[in-house]
Amino acid sequence: MAGNFWQSSHHQQWLLDKQDLIRERKHDLSILSEEEYQKIFIFFSSVIQTLGEQLKLRQQVIATATVYFKRFYARNSLKCIDPLLLAPTCIFLASKVEEFGVISNSRLISTCQTVIKNKFNYAYLQEFPYRTNHILECEFYLLENLDCCLIVYQPYRPLLQLVQDIGHEEQLLTLAWRVVNDSLRTDVSLLYPPYQIAIGCLQIACVILQKDQKAWFAELNVDIEKIQEIARYIINLFELWKTYDEKKEIQGLLSKMPKPKPAQQR
Amino acid sequence: MQKYEKLEKIGEGTYGTVFKAKNRENLEIVALKRVRLDDDDEGVPSSALREICLLKELKHKNIVRLYDVLHSDKKLTLVFEHCDQDLKKYFDSLNGDIDPDVVKSFMFQLLRGLAFCHSNNILHRDLKPQNLLINKNGELKLADFGLARAFGIPVKCYSAEVVTLWYRPPDVLFGAKLYTTSIDMWSAGCIFAELANAGRPLFPGSDVDDQLRRIFKLLGTPTDETWSGMNQLPDYKPFPLYQPNMSISQVVPKLGSRGRDLLQRLLVCNPFGRMSADDAMVHPYFTDLNPSIKNDRCERI
Repeated sequence: MAGNFWQSSHHQQWLLDKQDLIRERKHDLSILSEEEYQKIFIFFSSVIQTLGEQLKLRQQVIATATVYFKRFYARNSLKCIDPLLLAPTCIFLASKVEEFGVISNSRLISTCQTVIKNKFNYAYLQEFPYRTNHILECEFYLLENLDCCLIVYQPYRPLLQLVQDIGHEEQLLTLAWRVVNDSLRTDVSLLYPPYQIAIGCLQIACVILQKDQKAWFAELNVDIEKIQEIARYIINLFELWKTYDEKKEIQGLLSKMPKPKPAQQR
Repeated sequence: MQKYEKLEKIGEGTYGTVFKAKNRENLEIVALKRVRLDDDDEGVPSSALREICLLKELKHKNIVRLYDVLHSDKKLTLVFEHCDQDLKKYFDSLNGDIDPDVVKSFMFQLLRGLAFCHSNNILHRDLKPQNLLINKNGELKLADFGLARAFGIPVKCYSAEVVTLWYRPPDVLFGAKLYTTSIDMWSAGCIFAELANAGRPLFPGSDVDDQLRRIFKLLGTPTDETWSGMNQLPDYKPFPLYQPNMSISQVVPKLGSRGRDLLQRLLVCNPFGRMSADDAMVHPYFTDLNPSIKNDRCERI
């Protein structure tokens, strides 16, 4: 749907406030530190990304699935649904909404099994425990918690336009695109409109490539403070990555994470 | 489902039962509509999903609001804004008399809702008085939007009642598969005439043949010159060459000349010749429309 962002549910219902996030995460953050919480979400973003790549989905679909995942936990504790179940469910729903077509459930489950076994065995010793009926049940739950707001606007399209405006720079686009992908590991998609995220990512890419585009940025009619906030989120992520060894830490984090009561897992 | 207290059954809709209900949290009255799901691998059907998310983004004063979607045992419950009555029930309460200003206001709101949908590339495809809702403030809203496309136009209702053909254009009756916005414009024309006659349907056909005969008797049977390509439609069959023997003014005696002109631009057998919703809204018929209706801000924030 060629819609209008300003009238969209994304703009009207799903640009949250930092305070909202703090309030909703209160329970989880009484068990996990803020950094531990973020590391868990970095891990599951990678799970979604890897699943999506294995299923040959477009980046747009993967990004939408990741935003669904983040929106769900922006309103729910991690103990509501095991993120290992929610992650493939987000992929399943996003692929239908983004008109990629339906991924057959058997293919989705077998891809989960392969990916967990081959790529994330440092996190999970057992095999992927869920089946079709879990995904279908979880899909309903997800749909309800998203309040049926399924159209998500992503920074990729505004990014293409911005880079085009600067003048075609393949290297800049490639790097900024990757920074947008990285931004999915932060909270920015919950807090800022996609065009601001695109500008923030572009700015970081310019700094990394040491391209002086100050004059161009100065002419943009945007709230510079917001752009700086977005950039700070992403730079903080880069800082965290420098010292963080996921392979060593993630098992400990996952066992510490609040979980659904075993009775709920049939 | 705990959130809603069922009050009464409103009706047996095309896709399932519709209930009036109260939101226990904010006491708001809503309409609950059940959609049955087939048990298969797909989960929530992608066609239904697409339509649900479109309805969620379509926020307009003349389109009924979808608040929520709930699930319980293989059923999907759609939670809609509740309106007091539909246009059919409104007609029943009229006793054959309608204020011409009300006709104009309802027709304009119908066109405005359609123009918004069409600008978003969405067709209704099953417009009829039963799914135009009216509230106490004289606002008209399109309902069941998109569901027609998500589930296909059904031949039989959930309640086994035969779906009415009265608002179907000749191209669809001849089996045209490629639908365009023109399908809704024909229905809007039929509804316009019905409004002007305080609820007397324009073409109350009993089957496809009877439906087409009634249309051609009023408008004249189309020919290859007026509608090229007609005889290539899948279910095309020749009809006697009726000449338009009744003038539109006899059919809608209470409508003035401008209203009749608008009606004739909507009721065009050739789908390519039908007026669009955008153009219809600026037709001279609406020149003297109450400005408070015309200038309403419709896209809700």
